[in-house]
Amino acid sequence: MASLLVRTATGEHRLAGAGAYTVRAALEATEWRVPSACGGVGACGTCTVRVVSGPTNPLTTAEHRKLTAEERARGLRLACQLRLEGNAVIELDTPVPSRWQTLPEEDLAPCPGRLPELQGAPYGVAVDLGTTHLRVALWDRQQGRRIGACWGMNPQGVWGADVLNRLSLAQTHPQRGREMAECVRAAVLSAVHDLFELDAGPGNARWAEIGRLVVVGNPAMLALLTEQGGKALLDPANWQQPIDYQPRDPAAWRAQWHLPHLEPLLPGPVAGFVGSDLLASVLATRLLEGPAGSLLLDVGTNTEIALWDGQALHVTSVPGGPAFEGVGLRFGMAAEPGAISRVSAQPGGGGFVCETLGGLPIRGYCGSGLIDAVAVLLEAGHLKPSGRFTTPPGAEGFALDPASPRSALSAADVDAVQRAKAATAAAMAALLELAGMRWRDLGRLCVCGAFGRHLDLGHAQAVGLLPRLATGRIELHANAALTGCERALLAADAEAMFFTVAGKIKMINLSFIQGWEDRYISHLRLEPIPLFSNPRDAP
Amino acid sequence: MSRDAIIRAYNEAVFDTDKEAAFEVVNAALSHGMTAEEIVFEVVIPGTEAMMSAITKDPDANLAQHFMTAQIAAEVTEKMLTRFNHPPEVIGRVVLGTAFGDLHSLGKRIVAGCLKALMVEVIDLGVNVPAERFVEEALKHEAQVIAISSMMVHTATGERGCAKVRALLREAGLEGRFKIVVGGAPYRFDEGLYRTVGADNWAADGVAGAKLIAQLIREVKA
Repeated sequence: MASLLVRTATGEHRLAGAGAYTVRAALEATEWRVPSACGGVGACGTCTVRVVSGPTNPLTTAEHRKLTAEERARGLRLACQLRLEGNAVIELDTPVPSRWQTLPEEDLAPCPGRLPELQGAPYGVAVDLGTTHLRVALWDRQQGRRIGACWGMNPQGVWGADVLNRLSLAQTHPQRGREMAECVRAAVLSAVHDLFELDAGPGNARWAEIGRLVVVGNPAMLALLTEQGGKALLDPANWQQPIDYQPRDPAAWRAQWHLPHLEPLLPGPVAGFVGSDLLASVLATRLLEGPAGSLLLDVGTNTEIALWDGQALHVTSVPGGPAFEGVGLRFGMAAEPGAISRVSAQPGGGGFVCETLGGLPIRGYCGSGLIDAVAVLLEAGHLKPSGRFTTPPGAEGFALDPASPRSALSAADVDAVQRAKAATAAAMAALLELAGMRWRDLGRLCVCGAFGRHLDLGHAQAVGLLPRLATGRIELHANAALTGCERALLAADAEAMFFTVAGKIKMINLSFIQGWEDRYISHLRLEPIPLFSNPRDAP
Repeated sequence: MSRDAIIRAYNEAVFDTDKEAAFEVVNAALSHGMTAEEIVFEVVIPGTEAMMSAITKDPDANLAQHFMTAQIAAEVTEKMLTRFNHPPEVIGRVVLGTAFGDLHSLGKRIVAGCLKALMVEVIDLGVNVPAERFVEEALKHEAQVIAISSMMVHTATGERGCAKVRALLREAGLEGRFKIVVGGAPYRFDEGLYRTVGADNWAADGVAGAKLIAQLIREVKA
């Protein structure tokens, strides 16, 4: 039986009997997991490892597509494609990041308020449970003090980046479903543990004093967490009505979470495709307190949009595609160290400057870098508004930094950007029209979610993702869903806050709107959205 | 402006997916005395076919360009049809929709665009279409082909999708009157899947789908 020696920054680890699986699957059973965004089918290219020695299977088609010639020459492989044909030694190429990273104070909105009369357990936990990331904040609700906030990967990611993969796995393998719920619980508890210890030193996690827990997320994440399965989500009857994912038995939750005073609150998602994170973002941005013509945009794999017209909150969601989260691109990645987050053109046609998060060597593009790259290529004339390269860049793509093959953008990447931005812009235009409004009627456009954090508004407008509103009208709220949960922690009647927002919602399913596809296609070209026209006349 | 120049200018506009430019060329052609019929049959159809076949082979072409090309073809054709001296000769009819439980409408949109340019009348039933409705509408419009698009495995193989349409046709003794065509991602992953779900044929992309439907219409009518 082949054995595998794994070298990491912390030492060497031997795995016996690894030959029967792919290396990714063998590593999955250990603490040295590799990052993955496609569920291990060779589509994302993130699970790179280096083969130091030993016989292995030949490179697969997926590896030829996802790894550059130089990387292949260095012995890099995709762990999900790699099989041992004898004893081998590998190095984990991508260092496993520390599990929780602090959310910097400047990225968090202030949350005034406290509950001095609060009886019982004073601590509260706010959780924004995303498909890819988890954001957790810990509060002393009595004193109105944020003890800390952090973010990390959703550990379910090893079972696939796509929510459909995870839902169907939970349905076909109940044991996996339990594991997926359990690993999220464990992750939240580990984050809370870290936050307590950062605040008060080792051994100071005060589990018995945790009361309120507010969790928001998309319907799939809530279904997995509450172990209620995804069946309801695949039923058309539930696409436009709320689904209840309240914990059926709070006592069972107290036992499962090992928190004796836990009071879980999981506000119900708006509908099959719109999660309670949208409700939380509406609370965070105080959208309903602002003028008519306030629009909230949460860009992601599933883009959610809410338009307040002074009376009703028109809500829809569109499958934007995962491009803006860095998934499905040749060198796409989450907004993590090494991701190109900004690209600018050097004056005088002197090429481009790629800036990475943390200033590390280039590993790939995150959403904001991707928008920048397309915009600067368009401006420099390398790309046409149709999405075609003026000169076809060939199989390796167009490297914006000639020294780094991982800065390359391919025709398929540009296509992914076009489709994602068209869905977003067309959905905003459709909502405006349904509410009888025009682009210029928008007084506020709140871009929520991590995507907006590093976004260059000028570039987003140049490619036609965002309308050309005056800069002051566009606001970026990186952690809006978490902020909404925090507000709920500090409110005496959190449930009522969520109910109030939910009560104003008019749910719209664009697939049923006449002319939706034509509107979407009309937004595919890489060009600005004309502001002073009815959305119907958009290019 | 010579006919060749018009064709060249139109093809260039389609290649750049520039709808406005395409309409400008068409308007110029009309003012140069070309008839709407000539524009559809000599400029639009060959131009669309050339572009679609180029896109299918070109590794640098993308899906967005597919969508935009089909939209230009459909819109120009529709506008020209209103100017035809005689009602256009339609080769047949297809009812088209996405399977029950499926909201993915774009693949269907490409097929519809190409079909219009091929002079096939399209009755678009939209998304999330129950099996019964496919059959009712096919009867009502005297269509020759029922085309069902699915983008998800569970809507392709589900009991309420194509399999149900086949069962309904069989029960009603209508199998000789309508052919069933399927398309969408699941059929590309498993090339035998169309038989499993009870379809007569399948196509891998929008252009191929449109051509296949036109061919089946002729077979049914023969």
